[in-house]
Amino acid sequence: MFTLEPLLETFQTGSGFWSPIIWIVAIIVAFLVAVILRGFGKKEYKEKTGQTQAFLSGNPEYEKEQMHIKGSNLYWGFTESLEWVFDALKKMHTGNVSDYALWFVIVVAILFIVLITGENLMGAI
Amino acid sequence: MDFLQISQTGLTVIIGTIALALFGIFFGLVYKGIDRKLSAHMQGRIGPPIRQPFRDVVKLFTKENIVPENAIPWIFNLVPLVGLVATISILLYLPLGGFQPLFPGKGDLILILYLLIIPSLAMVIGGFSSGSPYATIGAQREMATMIAYEFPLAIIIITIAWRLSIQGVTNVFALSSIAATPVWNIAGPLGFIGFIILLLVLVIITPAELSKIPFDSPEAETEIAGGLLTEYSGRNLAMFYLTDGVKTVAMASLIIALFFPYNLSPLFGLESYPAFAVDIAFYLAKVFLVILFSVTLIRVSVARLKIDQIVYTYWVPLTLLSLVGLICIMWDQTIMANFGLQPVFEMLGIV
Repeated sequence: MFTLEPLLETFQTGSGFWSPIIWIVAIIVAFLVAVILRGFGKKEYKEKTGQTQAFLSGNPEYEKEQMHIKGSNLYWGFTESLEWVFDALKKMHTGNVSDYALWFVIVVAILFIVLITGENLMGAI
Repeated sequence: MDFLQISQTGLTVIIGTIALALFGIFFGLVYKGIDRKLSAHMQGRIGPPIRQPFRDVVKLFTKENIVPENAIPWIFNLVPLVGLVATISILLYLPLGGFQPLFPGKGDLILILYLLIIPSLAMVIGGFSSGSPYATIGAQREMATMIAYEFPLAIIIITIAWRLSIQGVTNVFALSSIAATPVWNIAGPLGFIGFIILLLVLVIITPAELSKIPFDSPEAETEIAGGLLTEYSGRNLAMFYLTDGVKTVAMASLIIALFFPYNLSPLFGLESYPAFAVDIAFYLAKVFLVILFSVTLIRVSVARLKIDQIVYTYWVPLTLLSLVGLICIMWDQTIMANFGLQPVFEMLGIV
């Protein structure tokens, strides 16, 4: 038989918790409040006139393909400011398997050092 | 849970959400007005009256709600509502006015972090759906900004939760637990420095969360004509305007809950209504101070950063700074707690 009980439970992750049903009800109420508020605003506008053209500071509009951001530029700003990191990473990717194996050994060695020193340090404390 | 309990909880959610929505919108606009007035005075201008944001909303409601030809109308019209609704729902889980959150056991800090992303994400989707080049650039920038500030923000939250878990606090991500155990009360000298660093980083994260100068490159009126809001007008723009106000209150309340959860009423031994009045007034004063330091003072004193500078600021200096704060708090808990101040001073040759 269908019961409401499981839906009303608060989900526990061990350290975090949330109750989806409370949030959903709150969202619906808040949505109604927002829609009512929005309803006070004017609905009309002049369709298919100059005001519905994209604002481009008076410049002519080019083809859509030329004016939209490409997927490769989606994170521009991010790639630009961290270019020095990406450059260093690119240099590591030589395509040579023996280089990759060497990196693997180095990383494992560092992990061992961190783990063993960490354990000794905690033991000392 | 019987029917009576369910209907009681349902009624609390409904009335609570309406009350919190009105509270957030009203005080969001009031603080927006104060911020504008103060920043004008700081720049040697008279500035608009404090009630100006209310007039702005009324004015926007009388303007045409233009949907551009290139736009995807249903997404373009829906996302301003989504942003406002998600922001209002954050208030449900935050301690406001010196009171416990409305639903203390129903949502935690991690949920708040996720909900804080939704308004920014709504603006990104709105920008992309506008079909305007300016808006698309703004949306792209907003996305990069979001990724940038989330990293140091996550370090701050995790550090506070870790420190509380060491203290033996249960439910470390619950705002009620965090507010009941102020971090300053449990920190030693090093931890105190660590928490001051984390507070400083959080104060610098706040303008980016709220798209304020110097982190407002997604809007950048003088450069990309309002960026992701370029094509928004009338009631849709009013919704984003209200979202900004409510989010300001939510962010300030979050900083207060994490770092300044103190109330005045226990100090004066007050109870009942006088205690409520004093605590609410004290909370509103704290919100004002947080907005003054994290929004007003910052936005009048520095110029806008470029998007790559924003990402660099958050991912390099501020992330390193928050890691220094984290290390200070960890050392405070291990070295200081085990050896005490005296041996550390002796080791450094101070004593």
